[in-house]
Amino acid sequence: MKKRWSCVALCVLSAMYVADFRADAAAQPANPMAATLADFKKRVDGFLTVHKAAVDKVGALDLTKSPKEIADRETALGEALRAARKDARQGDILTLQIGKVFRGIIRKEFARRSRLALKNREEAQDELPAFTPTVNQIYPTTYPLATFPPALLKELPELPKPIEYRLVRQNLILRDSEANLIVDVLPNAAPPTNALGE
Amino acid sequence: MPQRRRLLALAVVVAVSVVAGIAQDLQLPLKSNSIRFLVMGDTGTGDSEQYETAAQILKWRQKFPFTFALMLGDNLYGSERPQDFVKKFERPYRALLDDKVEFNAALGNHDDQNQIYYKPFNLDGKRYRTFKKGAARFFVLDSNYLDPEQLKWLEKELEGAGSDWKIAYFHHPMYTSATRGPVIELRAALEPLFVKYNVDVVFSGHEHLYERIYPQKGIYYFTEGGSAKLRAGDITKTSLTAAGFDTDRSFMLVEIAGDELFFQTISRKGATIDNGILARRKVRTDLSPARNPATPVHQ
Repeated sequence: MKKRWSCVALCVLSAMYVADFRADAAAQPANPMAATLADFKKRVDGFLTVHKAAVDKVGALDLTKSPKEIADRETALGEALRAARKDARQGDILTLQIGKVFRGIIRKEFARRSRLALKNREEAQDELPAFTPTVNQIYPTTYPLATFPPALLKELPELPKPIEYRLVRQNLILRDSEANLIVDVLPNAAPPTNALGE
Repeated sequence: MPQRRRLLALAVVVAVSVVAGIAQDLQLPLKSNSIRFLVMGDTGTGDSEQYETAAQILKWRQKFPFTFALMLGDNLYGSERPQDFVKKFERPYRALLDDKVEFNAALGNHDDQNQIYYKPFNLDGKRYRTFKKGAARFFVLDSNYLDPEQLKWLEKELEGAGSDWKIAYFHHPMYTSATRGPVIELRAALEPLFVKYNVDVVFSGHEHLYERIYPQKGIYYFTEGGSAKLRAGDITKTSLTAAGFDTDRSFMLVEIAGDELFFQTISRKGATIDNGILARRKVRTDLSPARNPATPVHQ
């Protein structure tokens, strides 16, 4: 009889433990990385909504023979976005948590590259004049864009058009390619390439 | 009447001499119904060298009437104000534009992506695209930002391209003997696809010189990034270098007829610096090794 009561008690305790565990699991995300990436996506989508509203305001761009039309539209879209995001701050999209995850991805990926690949990356950066990118800045129109490493693009979350990643020295930037606007900046995202691959 | 005949005979002799004179430097066969095009890269400086090279292109078009052009990126250096489009593209190539030569640009690292909306570049609002000319299928890629979506698109397009000549072009070179060296990450991403789907020829720019590379895994690679800019003396000849030219600006004329591709590379001064014939890769792989031309016949 005693044994039977012990079994019942054990079953009740097990059930209580499982129920408690499930409640905990529901309260906290199972995978913190997934939650961080979901948050990144939400923030990117938020920017995209602002971008679409700006496009509605300035109008879409069709194929044209007129370079003036292209230049005017790029300027107008940039201005509309800057106005709509006048309070934007560094880290609004690339938050501390997202930054931590991205820095980890980027540094690990750099560490896996050969010396020659790192040399290519360094040379791509060498074509850029020294400048510190800032949020809501128009990417300097006379500067080239450093080629983004294809292998790194495979590791980072995909971005919807027209947002893209770019590296400016060690900074990772999110850039609106239609407006030529720097949307956010993650400083010290990439290691200095000359420190790797020795 | 005899005098009239003599005059007629003289006129014929003069006409034949003129035609022979015009054609004497042209190494391309001008076969009927062939595909004829110009290849130039890194053009958009707006300086005198670009204009002089453009003038030379125009002269050669009298001998070799190509109907379209490939631009290998860096179409406009520096600022891209409306007047820059005029100075760095429309004015130097005005005669070609007026004559309805179709320019097909790729984007370089100095190009604003909004060039995709500029009609004369024929990018059709896209960073990468494909188009067909006769029996040749061209794949224009954006090597500045080779994202997984672009690679997926490329594989799908290559897979469906059938047995046409497959020609890819983009800004950064996968193989080069220039000082900066090849972009090996690009090679790692693209080469497996090019090999798998029998791409025949690849054209790139970025390095400001001309270079032809010995076939790599069966694919011919050309760098033509010296159509306005020049990095003089930049080629360090390696076992890859089949031909190189780094002492002046240059451009390429290409003709495809059947399973053969003929090319001739010309300097700003009008000298032929390289020429040859390539066989289509599918045909080469079908041939016995003894008949398989590993390098162009004209060195």
